[in-house]
Amino acid sequence: MKNLAYEKEIVAIIFYTSGFFIVMAVVIVLFFYFSRKKIIQKEVEKKDLEIQYQKELLSAVIITQEEERKRIAQDLHDDISSKLNIVSLNSHLLTAPGLTESETIEITKTIIELTSKALDNSRKIAHGLLPPVLDKFGLHAGIEELCLEFSSSKAVEVQYENTSIFDSTDTDRHLHVFRILQELMNNSLRHGKASRISIFCEDNQEMKRLTYQDNGIGFDTSNTAMQKGLGMKNIESRVAFLKGEIIFTSSLNEGVSVVFSF
Amino acid sequence: MLLLFVYIGYVLLLLNLIIFFMGYSAQGRAYKIFTWYLAMTFVIQMVSKLLTMFHYQNLFTIHFYFIGQLVLLSIFYLAVLKEDYQKKVVKIGLVLGLILFAIQYGYDSSLFFKFNLFEIFVTSFLLIIYAIFHLFNMLNKKEEFYYINVGILMYLFGSSILYLVGNLTILMSTKMSLIIWTLNAGLYVVYQLFILFEWKKSFYKKVIKN
Repeated sequence: MKNLAYEKEIVAIIFYTSGFFIVMAVVIVLFFYFSRKKIIQKEVEKKDLEIQYQKELLSAVIITQEEERKRIAQDLHDDISSKLNIVSLNSHLLTAPGLTESETIEITKTIIELTSKALDNSRKIAHGLLPPVLDKFGLHAGIEELCLEFSSSKAVEVQYENTSIFDSTDTDRHLHVFRILQELMNNSLRHGKASRISIFCEDNQEMKRLTYQDNGIGFDTSNTAMQKGLGMKNIESRVAFLKGEIIFTSSLNEGVSVVFSF
Repeated sequence: MLLLFVYIGYVLLLLNLIIFFMGYSAQGRAYKIFTWYLAMTFVIQMVSKLLTMFHYQNLFTIHFYFIGQLVLLSIFYLAVLKEDYQKKVVKIGLVLGLILFAIQYGYDSSLFFKFNLFEIFVTSFLLIIYAIFHLFNMLNKKEEFYYINVGILMYLFGSSILYLVGNLTILMSTKMSLIIWTLNAGLYVVYQLFILFEWKKSFYKKVIKN
């Protein structure tokens, strides 16, 4: 009798133990199944985000291009076409019969004045599009001129220091660097209301590292609206093109600090 | 050997209880419930220890331990788990488990003085499911009570089997059954160490700050 109870006990234990293991095995299999699903889903989301980001970059590039075209068209129209119009009008006047000598001199003077102004403006426009100094004397001189322009014309003090040497055959890449700096400085002035800007360039292993700082009002880096601006996108895509990395650090009223490599 | 592990377990449990109680007011719901869980286990341990000291039968305290553990850890996981379906599973599991135990003990009260296999099975099984829910949630989110969760999982896996064969140990010679209870006491020490580690990782600094 005692033996039977004993056996019953053992059977119950075996029953529960094997039941326990079976249930746990099922739970673990389910756990892996759902984890896999979850991980794959996360990955798909990540890829979607990447694609979305690239699309945004692309559209930013297109929009910038269009805006640039519009600006150039406007500049040409306002500064050059209008003046050339008057030049052509005056030239027609010259062909009119019965002009006195003084009138001829007057008209010629206007024509010369307007053509030189148009020439001046066209040079300015071309300069704005691509500073000749960058092309002729390299990035270092280009940045120096940029700093000079900013510090001479506006209420900002720019400090520039360079311990690196730029390879003069690398002008395509240098143009990107130049544009990034231009954009950063414009931002500092327009949005940051900065009064002091410092730029420092140095060699860092195989790459070069550029540190940019201003003392403006800064911005909240967690604010996505700021990150999605056209200018920022432009900078990011240029840095991506340079195969470099960029780090923004800023908070409200603390200025902006940007470090990027190229 | 068994006594050594048992006493280390008591000391660690008391230590955990004290340090968890130190940060009690500043922490969230889950932390508070876990502190209550530690307090409950400590009280039950002490009561069963006192009972053996005065040569009373102490096996019935294990039922309070199992059911108390199920109730408090269920509430703990209710506070920790985020998904609604998981909370629902926890609530249903808890209520259903309690009803089943009530029916079972009403039907056969002699179970009260043995290891109740059904009780051990259901409580461990439910808690392991909750722990796995939590593990699943932490796959891509912030790790919260990570080490406690791992400790619970590990201890339940190990100790459930040991408790399931508990009734056999009554029939065994004392020498043989000691091996099993030493193993259990060792597991318990490891479990308490996990809890201590969790406190060190997640709450130590906050207590110092306060």
